[in-house]
Amino acid sequence: MTLAVLPLGLIGLAAVVAMLLAPRGPAAAPRLAAAAGLVAAALVVLVRLPAPPAPIPPLLADDGLARFGTLVACLSALAVLGFGTARREGPALIAIVALGAAALAGAVHVTSLLLGLEIASLALVGLVVLPLTPKSLEAGYKYLLPGAAGSAALLMGAGLAYAGTGRLDLAAFHGSGSMAALATALLLAGLAFKLSLVPFHLWAPDLYEGAPPATAALAGSAAKAAVVIAILRLDAIVPAQPLWHQGLALLAIASVLLGNLAALRQPSLVRVIGYSSVAHSGYIAAMLSCGIGAAPAALLFYIAAYLPALIAALLVAASLGEAATITSLRGLAWRSPLAGATLALALASLAGLPVAAGFLAKIFLVGTLVGAEAWPLLAAVVIASGLGLFVYFRYFIVLFARDGCVVLHSPPPARAVMAVCTAALLVFGLYPGPLFGWLVLATR
Amino acid sequence: MSLIALILLPLLGGVAALFAARLGNNAERWLSVGVLGIGLVVLVAACLGGSPDPRWLAFSRTPWAPSLGVQLLFAVDGLSAAMLALSLGLGMVAVFTSWQTNENSGLFHAALLWTVAASNGVFMSFDLLVLAFFWELMVVPSFLLIALWGHGAREASAMKFLIFNAVAGLGLLGAVFWLGASAPIVTFDAFELAKLARPAGVQTWLLAGFALAFVVKLSVPPFHAWLPDAHTDAPTAGSILLAGLLLKTGAYGLFRFPAMLFPEGYLALAPVGLVLGSVGALYGAVMACGQTDAKRLVAYTSVAHMSIVLMGVSGGVHFALMGAAVEMVGHAFSASLLFFLIGAVYDRVGTRDLRDLGGLQRTAPRFAAVFALGFSAVLAMPGTANFLGEALVITGMFQVNWIYAAIVLTALVVSVVYATRLLKEVVFGEPGPKPVTQDLGSRELSIAVVLGSATLLFGLLPQLLMTPFTPAVDAVLASLEAVRR
Repeated sequence: MTLAVLPLGLIGLAAVVAMLLAPRGPAAAPRLAAAAGLVAAALVVLVRLPAPPAPIPPLLADDGLARFGTLVACLSALAVLGFGTARREGPALIAIVALGAAALAGAVHVTSLLLGLEIASLALVGLVVLPLTPKSLEAGYKYLLPGAAGSAALLMGAGLAYAGTGRLDLAAFHGSGSMAALATALLLAGLAFKLSLVPFHLWAPDLYEGAPPATAALAGSAAKAAVVIAILRLDAIVPAQPLWHQGLALLAIASVLLGNLAALRQPSLVRVIGYSSVAHSGYIAAMLSCGIGAAPAALLFYIAAYLPALIAALLVAASLGEAATITSLRGLAWRSPLAGATLALALASLAGLPVAAGFLAKIFLVGTLVGAEAWPLLAAVVIASGLGLFVYFRYFIVLFARDGCVVLHSPPPARAVMAVCTAALLVFGLYPGPLFGWLVLATR
Repeated sequence: MSLIALILLPLLGGVAALFAARLGNNAERWLSVGVLGIGLVVLVAACLGGSPDPRWLAFSRTPWAPSLGVQLLFAVDGLSAAMLALSLGLGMVAVFTSWQTNENSGLFHAALLWTVAASNGVFMSFDLLVLAFFWELMVVPSFLLIALWGHGAREASAMKFLIFNAVAGLGLLGAVFWLGASAPIVTFDAFELAKLARPAGVQTWLLAGFALAFVVKLSVPPFHAWLPDAHTDAPTAGSILLAGLLLKTGAYGLFRFPAMLFPEGYLALAPVGLVLGSVGALYGAVMACGQTDAKRLVAYTSVAHMSIVLMGVSGGVHFALMGAAVEMVGHAFSASLLFFLIGAVYDRVGTRDLRDLGGLQRTAPRFAAVFALGFSAVLAMPGTANFLGEALVITGMFQVNWIYAAIVLTALVVSVVYATRLLKEVVFGEPGPKPVTQDLGSRELSIAVVLGSATLLFGLLPQLLMTPFTPAVDAVLASLEAVRR
């Protein structure tokens, strides 16, 4: 037993305590318990950052990727706790999602990979339906069924790989021949489901619209980052199959174009963020298809820049309640300068403009594609980026309209999370040296 | 260190202006003027302070993100100093011009100062990633200025401006990242990157990426489609900053970086620049003749003048380069003056339609006098800085190919047509249905006098510009000379 398992244990403990506190006691108790466990886990990871890896064979790794993923899972779950949840069971489920994501980030074995994925997905289904309204139940089904299909594809792929190689660690996918090709295809489809890449994306906009924004934020941050890390691990093994990178490139082209096109005229902010998550998954897949897996610091920076923007935008949408449409956002910057500035910065970051962190992320994206001479992908990204500017700045202008009458409900924790997200976007955008330096060291 | 202040002052000043607006008493306006004034003092002090390298008036290098190979590398020579002074000075003019803008005045002045801060960054950054950062940063506050305080279809125009410029910026971003990442040790230091040898074909492609961003900002046809709309719908201060600063960042970029980083690419693409420029000069002038909206007319004259700057920059001979640099300054003053005056007319009578205006010399003689000076500058009357710039470009074009010189001369003839038409419709003739009865006030008159006398000053004392520009021009010629041999 090594210290590497301690963060997982702490998050799990927090989930159990939060669950036990849910039926009785003060209303804030489950939230505090979950928050305490997540903070402790994040601290352990931070303290152990310089420590040498102490893996737990054969299931979990303890490298930079795993630490990054665990940290992202803890921090995004903490941010989501700041949203406030509809019911007292919420905090326990949020902690379970973080647990699944952290496990997935360390997974080097088919068992831990599927376990992490399922823990996170099932807890997310619980969170989606938790408001127990017809709309949330519908969104829950829409998330559960494609998610199950994705898991089934993954499982089938793993089965085929096992049949071919007789192994269950990730190296099982390192094979050749028709069996291995089929296994890779199924694996890719399963992961594309989880990452909401076109054409496996249909659930994403519905989830963002139907689920509470907090849940959507968790699905888009902790869970997605962990899936990307799982793909990075596979990327070191699978590329023997040409299908892998070509498939990723095709999915990426479809996702960046369709994600932005579908968002063009959406009147609802959460739906725009939903389609934007499809597009950003596409950008990430584009970088992966160029073989960035060999030196993934730029990709991890992309994730670190994307998540605060996503969380901040959804948090503002949550503070507005049901009506986060393009008309109800009018004049937000004057009514509530903090929320207005947060959303404006988040939109600028998603569009990839300075001073937000998204600018550097966009440089990494374009630079990676130019460096790999992936011209069709680059053309798609350039077009998508033009569309994206329209998508995000349509909302950006509205924030400064003079005739709005926004009513905002943001309790102090939500305001604190907004401030932290804004600070993160600014610091990563203006002074990226320390973060990038650490990412380079951690992934060497 | 003091060079960083030229960016930080307006940047933080903008944040302060957001809050100062609550104090009342024009606090945000005086704050903006003060910040820009201090900026001018800092600029002069930095240039007089000397630098270890005689090539530069001021030089500063600060590590910033070593893991990314990024540093804050600022260098100022005569060209940069002139552009920085222009940026700070026109910023002040923009503040004074919009003294009556009251809606959300805090954010207005913040956007104004941020535009100045970003263009200052462009005018002196020699770390290419930092350059790209300021290049993209410039777009956002200008977008706000057009979208929030503009006229007509302002949101659509602002969006067009944003999408054109930010997408074209991707060319710069991609090329910069490729350059930095392909260096033996990752760096974005333009001086280091200039020393590395690259095959001519690669240079051409990289330069094409750079040039895409610069030419769209310069708005040379066919990349100009955003400019007439953005200029027409922007508020007066926005038009002044667009014409005086943003277009100049494109010109400055084309002047500074192609020859320095990609001399062989420059030689390969120079004919393209000359052809685009000559087509643009004629196109802009002819289009200007057909406009009825006075602001749109001036916007098309900007297209024509910036095309001439592109020709000068692509010429690769001393006179053409010097002419382009002088024209940058001359056009900044003349276009700002005209945008300011047309804005003042619009504030009084609510129209910019040439058919509704007229008889200014009868109803508002001071107005008419300054207007006439602005027209003379636009048609490059001798005595104005514009004349000097265009005459030098034409001289340079004769060394390149007489056909280009002939085209610029033709464009100049057409410019007489639109300038005299503007003069006839606005200044002379019978007062229209909406006569301008109120002459320029003292605030407006002093702005006009400053801009007008600057045009004349640099036109009559050309050595004031040509002496400081010489090192920059010589540097371009030296890098070209090295590959021509």
